[in-house]
Amino acid sequence: MDGTWEVGIDIGGTFTDVIGVNSQSGEVRTSKVRSQTSDPIASIVSAYHSIGVDWENVRDLMHGTTLATNAIVEGNIAPVALVTTKGFRDTIEIGRQNRRELYRLHVPPKLPPLVPEERRIEATERIGPEGQVLEPLSGDEAARVADIVGGLGVEAAAVALQHCYVNGAHEKMLGAALEGAVKYVALSHQMSPEPREFERTNTTILNAALMPLTAGYLDKLQAGAGDTTNVHLFHSAGGMASGAAVKKRPLALALSGPAAGVAAAGKVANELKLGSAIGFDMGGTTTDTCVVIEGRVQVSSDQRLAGLPVRQLMTAVESIGAGGGSIARAEGGAVRVGPDSSGAEPGPACYGLGGVLPTVTDANMALGYLSKERLLGGVLRLDKARAETAIRSLSKVLETPAHETAIGVYRIANASMARALRRVTVERGVDARSCSLIAFGGAGPMHAVALAREFGIAKVVVPKFSSVFSALGCLTAELSYAEQHTIRMSSQQWDQERIDTRCQSIKERLAAPVLAAGNGIEDVSTSLVALIRYAGQSDTVEVPFALPCDRQALGRDFRARHKKLYGFATDEPWQFEALRVTVAAHSQSGIGDLREKALQQSTSPISVDQCWFDNNGPVSTRRFERGALPVGWDVEGPAIIEDDWSTIVVPPGATARLDPSGHLIVVTGVAP
Amino acid sequence: MSQNPNTGPDPFTVEVIRNGLTAIAEEMSLIVMRAARSPLLREAGDLSSALTDAQGNLIAQGRDIPAHLGVMGSTVQKFLERVPANRLQPGDVWFMNLPEAGGNHLPDVKAVRPIFAEGEIQAYAVSLAHWADIGGARPGSYVPDARDAWQEGLRIPPLRVFTKDGPDREKLDVILANVRGAEEREGDILAQMASTYAADERLQEVFSRYDAATVQAAIANLHDQSETEMRAAIRTIPDGVYEGEDWLDNDGPDRDPIAVRVRIQINGDEATFDFSQTADACAGPMNATPFTTSASVFYAMKVIAGPDIQPNAGCARPLAIITREGSLLHPPMDKPVVAGNHDTSQRIVDAIFKAFEKVVPERLTAGGSTTSGLLLFSGRDPRSGKWTTLYEVHGGGEGARHDRDGMCAVRPHMSNVMNTPAEVIEANYPILIENQALRRGSGGKGRHQGGDGQVRTYLINGPEMVMTTIVERCIVPPYGLVGGEPGKTFDITLQRASGEVSQLAGKTHVSLKKGDRIIMKTSGGGGFGTPAGS
Repeated sequence: MDGTWEVGIDIGGTFTDVIGVNSQSGEVRTSKVRSQTSDPIASIVSAYHSIGVDWENVRDLMHGTTLATNAIVEGNIAPVALVTTKGFRDTIEIGRQNRRELYRLHVPPKLPPLVPEERRIEATERIGPEGQVLEPLSGDEAARVADIVGGLGVEAAAVALQHCYVNGAHEKMLGAALEGAVKYVALSHQMSPEPREFERTNTTILNAALMPLTAGYLDKLQAGAGDTTNVHLFHSAGGMASGAAVKKRPLALALSGPAAGVAAAGKVANELKLGSAIGFDMGGTTTDTCVVIEGRVQVSSDQRLAGLPVRQLMTAVESIGAGGGSIARAEGGAVRVGPDSSGAEPGPACYGLGGVLPTVTDANMALGYLSKERLLGGVLRLDKARAETAIRSLSKVLETPAHETAIGVYRIANASMARALRRVTVERGVDARSCSLIAFGGAGPMHAVALAREFGIAKVVVPKFSSVFSALGCLTAELSYAEQHTIRMSSQQWDQERIDTRCQSIKERLAAPVLAAGNGIEDVSTSLVALIRYAGQSDTVEVPFALPCDRQALGRDFRARHKKLYGFATDEPWQFEALRVTVAAHSQSGIGDLREKALQQSTSPISVDQCWFDNNGPVSTRRFERGALPVGWDVEGPAIIEDDWSTIVVPPGATARLDPSGHLIVVTGVAP
Repeated sequence: MSQNPNTGPDPFTVEVIRNGLTAIAEEMSLIVMRAARSPLLREAGDLSSALTDAQGNLIAQGRDIPAHLGVMGSTVQKFLERVPANRLQPGDVWFMNLPEAGGNHLPDVKAVRPIFAEGEIQAYAVSLAHWADIGGARPGSYVPDARDAWQEGLRIPPLRVFTKDGPDREKLDVILANVRGAEEREGDILAQMASTYAADERLQEVFSRYDAATVQAAIANLHDQSETEMRAAIRTIPDGVYEGEDWLDNDGPDRDPIAVRVRIQINGDEATFDFSQTADACAGPMNATPFTTSASVFYAMKVIAGPDIQPNAGCARPLAIITREGSLLHPPMDKPVVAGNHDTSQRIVDAIFKAFEKVVPERLTAGGSTTSGLLLFSGRDPRSGKWTTLYEVHGGGEGARHDRDGMCAVRPHMSNVMNTPAEVIEANYPILIENQALRRGSGGKGRHQGGDGQVRTYLINGPEMVMTTIVERCIVPPYGLVGGEPGKTFDITLQRASGEVSQLAGKTHVSLKKGDRIIMKTSGGGGFGTPAGS
């Protein structure tokens, strides 16, 4: 079976998820192992072993990693030198002058600058907003700057000059001059070719600061892989990139793991023809949400990571600090759920690891949703008595019956999730009622139907392989590269050739590594999106287009989308602001082709338990093993469907059915 | 005070409804930010959204701009004094901006929509947005030399601009005919309308799930919760009478500093803030309305005693706020107020902080760059031929605290509006930013040092521009606390193309030509504690 396996691996903070498919037999294997935080390559190897493969059996490894994210969050990044235009070295310290906390004076209002004063060097040069050279950069000046940087004793340098996004010539000159002075250089017009000096500079610094770490990791990974395994990494914009591409732009790994889960959700939405969908990944401490519109996973170029602005195309994942571990507490006569969390340790009371405070998971346990028989992940036995004790401690304070308290905590958790989902959908101009909810992660399927009902959502999908969903996203991803470039043009001063030429050149550059990976030109698809707004507006509207870029068609599509998003559109002139180009190789494998291991099929429940769905008392609820459900058989609520990692709650009035595709579909019982 | 659990909704239902109502207010703000046309709304988010009950008591707020908090709580109440509720129809959206009627200054225009359920008004949705121009004597509607309210722009008493059938075109046209940038303003108006429409839809969902009596009982409970939280916060401050004062530079080119004075009485879980000893109303635009004064008091109490207090009408109950009619903080309706909203409001916070210096110094921050530091540039861009107005606010040093230095170049207290990046300024206005740097050494000395201000140099690149300044802390510096030294004062220098250099006043209006430079240095923060070695 040498070299016949394709493997997707997502290395998370706690677990490393793996899914492998044998390209000859079609056999699929999945597993989850503990992450070895100090040695990600050891995590990969142990994930391999858990599905019975090793490097020599793996033809393609596609993996997501929190390497870059953790380095940034923990401040464990390399020291960097920064070169700016003369007069602008303090830009990163001034920032946008706003403070993080409105009402907490003890919190320092801003994060400290990523590069201290003594490593911020100014170059005498100036480019204007239209790209005109106001003051040339001389060769001597570039050499002088390189000399100073060389003397700082750092491995990496970031160059961020004013208006370089329209004219990168000075940055390129400095980049060339710095080659002998430092090992790694990041130029801002390549990292983030868009205006706003503070955000672009920070993005460039983060790239430079991640370069040494990432290069070291990738070299070790490649050494392990040898010549027999192709190694690819999942990048934040929702596709695969080669190691070489990631070395040049390591910040692309920022959202690697979550983006892979979202990509898988996008594929599920497409395969099931869901139209628009909301991805809902509820874990222990955080919940990630995202929106898929007409089969397209939404991306954004304006996000933050650990409080720092990051300007690059990334999957638009909204994270909220709430999950199964969120703690419920009484405050005066009020009750709140979160933001405090029991975390992974000690975890909810029912884990029996020392936690005593009531959490959302304890409420789920007390309501009878979580099984006391099944071992969570095959190892952890949940303790219902501890959950009930924790919930009763809250009941006592609130003077409410225990089951009413548990129902209440469950409802509040849903209400705060609903608030977050509302934000995600409103920001994207989507009516949640028209979406389906795709639930994954440990706790997502337990809350999904109740949450969907809050919105009037008619259909919930709990996909197959939902417990290794990010790894699945890696396995089924295509090689793709995306960039966003600023091009400002008024509809009144239209220059079609300029746009067409620019598209063409970006497209060719992005396609080069895809073609180099062995794809034929016919296997490569390009998507073009124009970002357009009326003069004076902040948000742009995304308008897909094709070459040649026709002004009339673009204007018509823009107005139609604007009307849909904002409820109005006018005939006034509009402004082309930026261009987004995505180049992708056609997907080799869809999720639909992958089959989970079938168990002996059975329509009899594994048990019948007493579960609470409202304050009117417990009802007999059948519990099913997910893997044993026959395709097309209706499971009427109340019912629980479970596997080793997740529990799907089907409340009274809802109906679940295993789709021929292998995904579980729950009709919530509310009209869309 | 606390609701009997046997008669009202259970605490879980209250919390679920609270989440739902807050989500609605948040959604309203998102809609305005996305669809509005004014840069102030889209870039800087100078807007707020709120829901009130049928009496106009604040229930939930979306985006939390401190300066708007006390204001939104009064807007609907004052609206209802002028427009009896029986004149309101489903689908109405009323616009208003009168400072004396639950307002703060003319550019902050409020859209108010009654929300009906079960045949009665159950709530109001309010969208407040700062329009980049509301007419008046100068572009941008900041008139440093205004001497009456009418010079500041268009005064809109409650006006029904939309009905369920759509906009009332004639009324809309009257508004648009009296403000600069009609196209942009119409966009703002539509955005505000759209946000109240969304609030109506969402509230209908809430009322389809819970009957009106349950929702109203939950709202009453939320008010009680906030009241309890505020009382607990007040109790953390020792009983006593505390007095504090700080000074505004002046109300225009050549007047004396103006005192803002407060006498605070803490009595168990109640507090009185008496501003009677504050100076009389001034001739220029530094006056602040009582609603702005309330906003400052709420802000100060939140940061000093209860950062997590839910902002609604309940938190006002244990507070008595006294302003003397005819004073700076309760001006006659014919007085200009535009700068009181963001500069005098800050000075009120400063006076309160100084009153608490001896009581709870460890909870305070020394004086910061508490001014909007507003520079308003206007002129034709030769590249587009279009008239442009840049509204730019500037942060300075933060005051030090008992355990840390102040931070450099931030917006303090009542506002949190961001700067405009140099690259965005240069692309959209005939201005070149020559540098933006820290103003090193401008923070006051102390055991902990005040933060530094910033320097920015604006080079005029078009043939002609005009510039308005509304800047404080040019004369009276940000104070130190507990022996710390004050920060450096704000400084604006005009360097003509000819080389001639002059110092500009904090509230002035100048014509600029190509090649002129404005060199702006913002104030540093005050230090905390006696500096070492002195």
